[in-house]
Amino acid sequence: MIRVDALTKCYGLLTAVDGLTCQVAPGEVYALLGPNGAGKTTALRCLATLLGPNSGSASVFGFDVVQDPIEARRQMAFLAVSMGLYERLTAREMVEYFGRLHGMGRDALGRRVDELVDLFGIGDFEDRLCGRLSTGQRQRVSLARALVHDPMALILDEPTLGLDVLSGEMIYDFITRERERGKAVLFSTHQMDEVELLADRVGVLRQGRLVAEGRPADLVAQTGAASLSLAFLELVREAPS
Amino acid sequence: MSPWWIVCKKELRETFRDRRTMTMMIVVPVLLYPVLLIVSEQVLLFGMRNLESDGAAVAVVGNAPPQLLRMLDAAEGLSVVDVDGPPEEAIHSDSVTAVALIGPVQRADGTRDVTLVFDAASDRSRRGRSQLAGVVAEWGDSLLVERLQDAELPLSLAHPVSVSDSSIARPAEVGGSTLGRILPLLLVVFTLLGAFYPAIDLAAGEKEHGTLETLLTAPVPSSAVVIGKFVTVALIGVVAAGLNLGSMILTFQTGILQFTGVSGLEVSIPFGSIVVIFLTLVPLAVFFGALFLGIAVRSSSFKEAQNVLTPVYMLVLIPAMLPVFSGMELGPFMALVPVAGVSFFFRDLMTGDATFVTGALVLGSTGLYAAGGLLFAARAFGNERVLFGSVDDADVDSTRGWVEKLRERSNGSGVPSPEQGLGFVAFVALLYFYGGFQLQYRFGEPGLLAAEWLLLLVPALLFVRVAGFSVRETLSLHGPSQRALLGALLLIAGATPMAWVIGWLQSFVLPIPWEILEGLEELVTAETTGRLLWLLLVLAVTPAICEEVVFRGVLLGATKKLEPWRFILLNGGVFGAFHLSFETAIRFLPTASLGIVIAWAVWRSGSIWIGMLMHALNNGSIVVLASSPSLREVFSDPEAPPPLWLIPLAAIALYSGVRVLNTSTNQSER
Repeated sequence: MIRVDALTKCYGLLTAVDGLTCQVAPGEVYALLGPNGAGKTTALRCLATLLGPNSGSASVFGFDVVQDPIEARRQMAFLAVSMGLYERLTAREMVEYFGRLHGMGRDALGRRVDELVDLFGIGDFEDRLCGRLSTGQRQRVSLARALVHDPMALILDEPTLGLDVLSGEMIYDFITRERERGKAVLFSTHQMDEVELLADRVGVLRQGRLVAEGRPADLVAQTGAASLSLAFLELVREAPS
Repeated sequence: MSPWWIVCKKELRETFRDRRTMTMMIVVPVLLYPVLLIVSEQVLLFGMRNLESDGAAVAVVGNAPPQLLRMLDAAEGLSVVDVDGPPEEAIHSDSVTAVALIGPVQRADGTRDVTLVFDAASDRSRRGRSQLAGVVAEWGDSLLVERLQDAELPLSLAHPVSVSDSSIARPAEVGGSTLGRILPLLLVVFTLLGAFYPAIDLAAGEKEHGTLETLLTAPVPSSAVVIGKFVTVALIGVVAAGLNLGSMILTFQTGILQFTGVSGLEVSIPFGSIVVIFLTLVPLAVFFGALFLGIAVRSSSFKEAQNVLTPVYMLVLIPAMLPVFSGMELGPFMALVPVAGVSFFFRDLMTGDATFVTGALVLGSTGLYAAGGLLFAARAFGNERVLFGSVDDADVDSTRGWVEKLRERSNGSGVPSPEQGLGFVAFVALLYFYGGFQLQYRFGEPGLLAAEWLLLLVPALLFVRVAGFSVRETLSLHGPSQRALLGALLLIAGATPMAWVIGWLQSFVLPIPWEILEGLEELVTAETTGRLLWLLLVLAVTPAICEEVVFRGVLLGATKKLEPWRFILLNGGVFGAFHLSFETAIRFLPTASLGIVIAWAVWRSGSIWIGMLMHALNNGSIVVLASSPSLREVFSDPEAPPPLWLIPLAAIALYSGVRVLNTSTNQSER
């Protein structure tokens, strides 16, 4: 269970996330929607223990991200576009490094890495330095890196950004599969087709505030729009403050 | 496996795959360095041989005795040529290296004048001269022998004293001292170079590639990340320095170097010393590693980190270079100076002069600095603003010009940022340095007056107005309460004598430049009432207004958002630094402490008028004291201790001033 309770994060005078509350249950996929600058990345970074919230709290499977950040990190996989790979490690070494940081033993780690290499089709380039990989290949390695400890919560910040259709589809498949395995998945995006395809529930962020939440169909009904895209437009454009 | 070790192993692996670092660490010291040394030595030897093999052309002008000419012909490496025209031209045109002008007539006492004409700016000519001088001296000796024989006197008559040298230094020590001057610097430089790129790569490089964010999602405390990285950087620094040390020693000891043979030097450093040198490199590398990491992590890109670290690198080189200069010794004080202590200790180890106590001091202090550096680095790694904040801010800022930024930020209200305030003071200080001293020099006291008003007050007012800051807020233009006035009077009554006591105390450490003090005293001493009033205007009222507006106005206003103790110390420090010149280092501490007291009073009262009053009273009291003959007696000798009764009175005044001001209404918070 991912819980966010009245989470607020300010940068100086700017309030990037303003009292965000939401929950993601095991086996559920939750999409955080919002235009650029709405606070999606900041909210997810707080959840990933990278930023400290000014007030409010968040926890991942019972571990508070402020009180017990190390344990919270063990419970989740965090993936964002801004996260890079070590240029002078090979794809395999990169994944293994994070496995070791998660305290995995040599044998368990070896098995898990083989599994991930198969799962994400990394085999062809597992011994190539990350600096020489293509964008799609990098994203696969990043996914494997994030999932090396097979956590129960997945927090993905725009996981398909900049990917081609094939790599994007691989990610959709992967999210669907993880949901079936009972994982709690929280991801951010501004692509409506992804939301329709994957999300059980949607939260819409505007200027740091959650302005709507519910199943995609509920949002469409609530706004009276013809499609989810139009509903989204309606919600984020409403009442400029 | 503990997390820091996992991080360290991974960083080492990546570093070994990094060509740039590897070049700096291995290729440069192991290959290039000895090659360079050998090449430069060969060039030197070649040049020496060249000079020696070429027969130096010399000439004799005037009535040359045949005996001298015979000796010149016989001398090796000399060829006598004829010179037409003035000898100076012949030397300039290189047709002859040196010319002996033989005086035409013997003097009455039997001495002959010989002038050697040569060009001191040319190696060849100097060499020719010294050879020529040798032959002439030989000729003189032969004349002396003839004379003694003619007079039937023993030859020893001309040599009452016989001097010969006997150096107690073993050849190894001579070699050690020559090498000892250069080698420490090189060792420090290579440790620096070794740690430089890895530190940037492991800190700023991670931010640039976005891997830091990745790394910080791993379930390890950030302290483990810092330690892992820092051990890597320090290790690379040590390895780089160790390789360099080894390569140098091998180069010197293989005996392929003819230079050591030629110059009679023997270079061998005892094995024990090598071990101690290496052990001392460890805390040094640790210090550099931590310092560089802590600084580099505050930059968001490799390039930015390089820009920031290069001046740091230069700054560190200065203390490292000290042992190169002769006359500097490693004392207990020098042992505590960062980097310099290590550099001197290396030198003493090579010459065999090192003592256990200084070694322990050097090791201990370097260890402490290293720990401080590590804390500094760890704080940066635990700070989310350092790790994530700077990137976003920079994006917004870089799209606008600085004038726009200045205007937009101020917007008629508000105060300058600390950077803007400090930048302005730096600008005014430069203006004053180039313009103010000129004015003072050319026009004397009126020039000083003009400099204060035109180069301090006017720019300060312009800065606040043009940039559109709130004049009232920035300059603290609030009327003081009566209580605050009372507090200020008490405070300055205590602070002025306190500054005097500080000045007297530091005279035990810093020498007093007497000539300048006498000049100062003349400047502040008035003989007539008119002169006294003029001096009060120039030296008390004017600085009180103009300097207060700059320091307690703009600077204090711009930095008030920082923590109080920071901006007050900063204010005093900058104020003291502004009053520095080449000769008056002694003014820094007293002025800075006055600045601190005044800055505190202005901040507490929210009123710059308080600062002006205190400043005017302090300066005015000095003018009045110096002008009153009876008082001057008591106060004029800066080496004499201040009267004892003054100290408790000053302390009471200071204390009550602080109490009164602390309880008065704080205007700036209202």
